[in-house]
Amino acid sequence: MFRISHFQLYCILLLLVGPVAFLETPNILIIHLGCNAWLAAIGTIVPGILLAAMFQYIIKKSSQPFPLLLEEHLGKILGKFLGFLYILAFLLASSFTLRLFVDFIVTNVLPQTPISVFIGVLLLVGFVAIKSGLENLARCCELVTLLGLPFAFLIFLVAIIENWNPGNLLPFAYMDLTSFSLGLLSCSYVLGKMLPILSLAFFCPRQEKIRQVMFLVISTYVALMLATTLATLMTLDISMSNIATFPTFSTIRLLHIADFIQNIDIVFIGIWIMGVFGSVTIPWFMACYTAQQLFALKDYRFLAAPSSLIIGVFSILMGKNILELLAVSMHIIPLLYSFVFILLPFLLFLLTLFKPYPESATLAEPGSKAESSA
Amino acid sequence: MRFIKSKKPEKIDIPPGELVEQALSPVLQDNREKLRILLAGCSDVVMRDFMLASHPPTPGLLLYFDGLVDKEQVALHLLQPLLTEQNTGDSSGNLSPDEMLKRVQYRILSISEVKTLSNIEELLHHISSGDTVLLIDGCSSGLVAGTRSWQSRAIQTPENEITIYGPKEGLSETLRFNTALLRRRIKSTNFKIENMVIGKLSKTDVALFYIEHIAPRPMVEELKKRLEAIDIDAVLDPRYLVEFVADEKRSIFTQEQYTEKPDRLCGYLLEGRIAVMVDGSPMALIVPVSFLEYLISPEDYYINYIAASLFRLLRLGAFAIALLLPSLYVAVITYHHEMVPTPLLLTLAATRQGVPFPAFVEALLLDLTFELLREAGLRLPRAVGPAVSIVGALIIGDAAVRAGLVSTPMVVIIAATGIASFASPSYNAGIIIRIARFAFLIASGLLGFLGIMIALILLFVRMASLSSLGLPYLAPLAPFNWQQLGDIFIRRPWFENRKRPYLEGMENQWRQGKSTGG
Repeated sequence: MFRISHFQLYCILLLLVGPVAFLETPNILIIHLGCNAWLAAIGTIVPGILLAAMFQYIIKKSSQPFPLLLEEHLGKILGKFLGFLYILAFLLASSFTLRLFVDFIVTNVLPQTPISVFIGVLLLVGFVAIKSGLENLARCCELVTLLGLPFAFLIFLVAIIENWNPGNLLPFAYMDLTSFSLGLLSCSYVLGKMLPILSLAFFCPRQEKIRQVMFLVISTYVALMLATTLATLMTLDISMSNIATFPTFSTIRLLHIADFIQNIDIVFIGIWIMGVFGSVTIPWFMACYTAQQLFALKDYRFLAAPSSLIIGVFSILMGKNILELLAVSMHIIPLLYSFVFILLPFLLFLLTLFKPYPESATLAEPGSKAESSA
Repeated sequence: MRFIKSKKPEKIDIPPGELVEQALSPVLQDNREKLRILLAGCSDVVMRDFMLASHPPTPGLLLYFDGLVDKEQVALHLLQPLLTEQNTGDSSGNLSPDEMLKRVQYRILSISEVKTLSNIEELLHHISSGDTVLLIDGCSSGLVAGTRSWQSRAIQTPENEITIYGPKEGLSETLRFNTALLRRRIKSTNFKIENMVIGKLSKTDVALFYIEHIAPRPMVEELKKRLEAIDIDAVLDPRYLVEFVADEKRSIFTQEQYTEKPDRLCGYLLEGRIAVMVDGSPMALIVPVSFLEYLISPEDYYINYIAASLFRLLRLGAFAIALLLPSLYVAVITYHHEMVPTPLLLTLAATRQGVPFPAFVEALLLDLTFELLREAGLRLPRAVGPAVSIVGALIIGDAAVRAGLVSTPMVVIIAATGIASFASPSYNAGIIIRIARFAFLIASGLLGFLGIMIALILLFVRMASLSSLGLPYLAPLAPFNWQQLGDIFIRRPWFENRKRPYLEGMENQWRQGKSTGG
């Protein structure tokens, strides 16, 4: 049976939650909390752990991977309906990530290039990855994480050291509870995107280690958000951060190393593309995989081509410009993601509380749909 | 008195294809007739008739290909005893043909390797391989004597794998010499050499080398299965085989390693790899290998590990330069000027003034010219090849700059790329880099740095999907294995290198006893 290692699982989950949040979340946190934005980033660890525990519990109480576990717990009709809803949700997540990234590129790097070019190219890359299977996708995620994560931390460490100004973080803890809650929510809802763990956990060799993997993902996410928020606050201070559309990249753009290395934001964007590749491809893969499981199809790979068209068209129609997208990102996406990736699993969790542990809750049976398709 | 009644030879009208499959006849004249048909037009075949010094004398035939045998051995250890030895029959002369053959084999011939054969196909294979066949009238079997000896290249230092330290011996075209070179280094009965014959016409001896309990048994079996399935008329080099046995056959990413150095080959075998050698080629094919192993030079293990580690990092840098430098330059010059500090940007702009081509075309043309010179240099005679390529590069580069066709920085970039590409210890990796470089160049010309990154992701996706005999191509990076990575980017000292790189199915991973310490 095909397995993914714990490190591969870590990389996949990190790529799901990290790259997009890294662009948006520090900005939102600073808007809500100003100089104390970094406190909300640290605070995310608590809801993160609760989410991880919830996912872990659902896995333990299920004998089949997501989306089959929906049918297992909710019955065939409701399970299939929710499964279908999740296909749409994954496609939406993929389309939104793609469009946000493409608009960001067009706004900041190559303004003359039509967005359809970038969308087409990124879809091609994702298509190739999905066609080559989960095993290959997991390996690609490993490579991307190994390249991107140290680089991201290095950049922000350099930014913090170069613009060391702890005064920008004062006054300490001067915030009201509502702002802090909003900040915490906006930083935490992203972690709901770890939901594919409900499928991927069944491909892992030792399920008792999955909790550690999720905890590591949450820690890395928190550290990344903390480093980004701190670097942004120290470099730009609150007023400049509030003006900038993407303060994270303004921070990087302002970096000057040894009076020679300058404007390295494009290098960072280049590395970031790899993360975005993961953020687009993994929900896309999940959409194909969910569809395959739901409709008992032989394979999911052939779904990559038609779904690429849906994602492409959906991402083009999503908004007219980046301002519209940012509004969607601020007001609609958090609600939608919270509902689909947190609230629905929470209801499922409540339901599983009253269910007994399955007899074989560890791995998908050899030869089952989950195994044969991957 | 023993008397064997000779039958009259029958006229043979069987097609040669069927003739080959027939068993040897007890009538020498029949065998001779069949061989005459099969070996018609083979001017190098020697058929030496003789009378065995028995009572009464029995006709016999010695058969070999001229140039493939040691004639002195044939004369001294085969012909002379046969012609002079009287002890072939007992006093009554009532020996059966089989008894007579046994007596010749065990009491008369003084050559070390003798065995029996019973059909014509076997006979032809042996004489083509340099053995001498002895047929005796009345016997339905023949004898084959190991008399192989031919002119071959002496053991020399391999030209393509130059090292300063370490053994200098290289493999040669004769398979048996190569097995000896390896056996001398690994004196264990676990070191196995399995022979097979591939090629309907060439009947090439192919040997499979591995160390039992270290090389994973399923991999050995899988490779044997793939080799045995090959149905080709001739095999002249291991490269003929690799396209049959590779996991992914349609790919520019080679999934195997080659070496001409026995010490390097032994190093691979001791890490559980399997080698294939073909008689007539000095190259050993090694599988499975991962891409990152192409960065390792055999010399790394003969020099101080800290220095070796630094050299490996240098080669890694050279690899990145060879792959990405021209495309990065094009991306920066065409799309991302803001990255370049102003004084440098002004200098670059000044040098590019008057150049009629965009940076992308300039880089493409110059890189193509460089590749052309390199290819021409390889094909030219050794005495003039390097001179032509150096002079060509200097003159063309200088003339192109003077004519204003290319800018000076671009010449520097392409020259640096060329030098960096030579730093790769593996020719296979060099080919991959050279081809991929053009893809990156096109991507950077289209979308700048973003194009490069997208090409890089595609490269990762493709490479991650490959495997070499089941070993992931990007291992130990993807799937990630921290412990094994410790001997890839840097060279781990021997006292810490206690375990072999793990391969699925490897039985013995320990290369050092647990008491060994550093």
